Amino acid sequence: MKYMIMLYGSQQDYDFLSGKPGDQPAWSAEDVAAMHGFMEKWNQDLVDSGEFVDARGLSAPVHARRVQLKDGVPVVTDGPYPETQEVLAGYTIVECESFDRATEIAARLADTPHPDDASLAHEWFVDVRPIMEDRGELDG
Amino acid sequence: MTTAVRNDDVEDLLRTLAPQVLGSLVRRFGHFDTAEDAVQEALLAAAVQWPKEGVPGNPRGWLITVGSRRLTDLLRAEQARQRREDTVTRWTLPDQWLAPAADRPAAESDDTLILLFMCCHPALSPASQIALTLRAVGGLTTAEIARAFLVPEATMTRRISRAKQRVKDSGIPFGLPPAPERAARLGAVLHVLYLIFNEGYVSTSGPNLHRAELSAEAIRLTRMVHRLLPDDGEVVGLLALMLLTDARRPARTGRDGALIPMAEQDRTLWNADFIAEGVALISDALPRGATGPYQLQAAIAAVHDEAPTAEATDWPQIEALYELLMRISGNPMVALNHAVAVAMARGPRAGLDLLAELESDERIAADHRLYAVRAHLLEMAGDLATARECYLEAARRTTSLPQQRYLHARAARLG
Repeated sequence: MKYMIMLYGSQQDYDFLSGKPGDQPAWSAEDVAAMHGFMEKWNQDLVDSGEFVDARGLSAPVHARRVQLKDGVPVVTDGPYPETQEVLAGYTIVECESFDRATEIAARLADTPHPDDASLAHEWFVDVRPIMEDRGELDG
Repeated sequence: MTTAVRNDDVEDLLRTLAPQVLGSLVRRFGHFDTAEDAVQEALLAAAVQWPKEGVPGNPRGWLITVGSRRLTDLLRAEQARQRREDTVTRWTLPDQWLAPAADRPAAESDDTLILLFMCCHPALSPASQIALTLRAVGGLTTAEIARAFLVPEATMTRRISRAKQRVKDSGIPFGLPPAPERAARLGAVLHVLYLIFNEGYVSTSGPNLHRAELSAEAIRLTRMVHRLLPDDGEVVGLLALMLLTDARRPARTGRDGALIPMAEQDRTLWNADFIAEGVALISDALPRGATGPYQLQAAIAAVHDEAPTAEATDWPQIEALYELLMRISGNPMVALNHAVAVAMARGPRAGLDLLAELESDERIAADHRLYAVRAHLLEMAGDLATARECYLEAARRTTSLPQQRYLHARAARLG
């Protein structure tokens, strides 16, 4: 069974991580390295247990484009998100034996290290969602 | 691609598929309690459609698809209501983490076993374990379970929803219990199956002596566990015990519904197929290492069933088997049966001496069975007046009508 573990972040979160000064101290290079080290280990554990399928990170939200219909014509908007809106920042797909197991894997991310004085712009969370197994599930 | 089928075949198929479908939904989506309701609805839909339209080519897939859709609907309604009432469910993850899966898809068999372990979780009362097992693993409806246990359907509905809530609240992850706990947890599962069997074989209240469907269901579920764990000696022992006991059902009551003791039963009525199967199972299992209580009880039942007449019963062997059983089980009922075997092998006085020792055991001192056995042994010893008193006392102490009728009849025979 495949599950997608979805991680969120706002443009502001990306800014902190990239060392851009803002309302609060930016993350130091060591802080960022500690976080990346933790994430790599989490990922490697999944590879070792055979539960890893795929993982991707998304570029900063400012790079997003939205395509939508206006008066029947597709119109493109650059950067449709407010800078504090949490949007999908990355995902990891796992293949494991149950939803409960996928939830445990996701819960380990709660231990991700961050600087003592860093407060995230929002309450931290990740989402876990079952991936559809076949086309038949679309015919609801 | 569908095939026409009889109603009975559909029912058998649905009963077999029920735990697999539930397991698959809970494994994939969680929500044990709501998924269980969704599966019941899918089973009901199939029970209505399949006999008319034929069984779909992939019945399990059909049930999983219909069950998933129902689960989505039920969850949508539930979560909308929770948001309205501001009672969104939050729970913490259990401390006990699941082991990372080995590189293999989970076997179907695991799902059924995991469900059994969940339904027989020590956090639940025996009554809840039984009800939940029959519904979630047996695929019985609440109405059927209520009827079998002679309680109003509303009572059973409450019992089952409370049990499901408890399982959900305990946050047990969907997986087999950790290896060190597994033997004890399997013991709990077997105990629940045995309770279901006994409830069917010896009904504790009401006018019907046996409610065969419960015994049949217990045998069906135990066969399933035996298929899943073919190397477990106690599972074999329990299955053999059930078959060898149930074999006597047709001879156990007379036309008027009165109880007939084993010594007076018409042995030609015993179910020869069950006896043959039970004897084969236990004969195969006994020499294979550790002998547990179910195997010993099955061995005793086999000695009884293999005797062509009551007089030909090998009582010394039964006495020896009860002695082994007493060493591993502190159950006073075992001691009571042991006393009977001693009386039959060595004379009633030897048995009565053992009964005297049991009177100080408060777990059985007030039990009608102690008085009934004493009455029998006194009758064997020729003390008819005291025997008659004991029969009447035993009848006063039982709630079972057939038992009362039997004991009163025994007393009446003695004047």
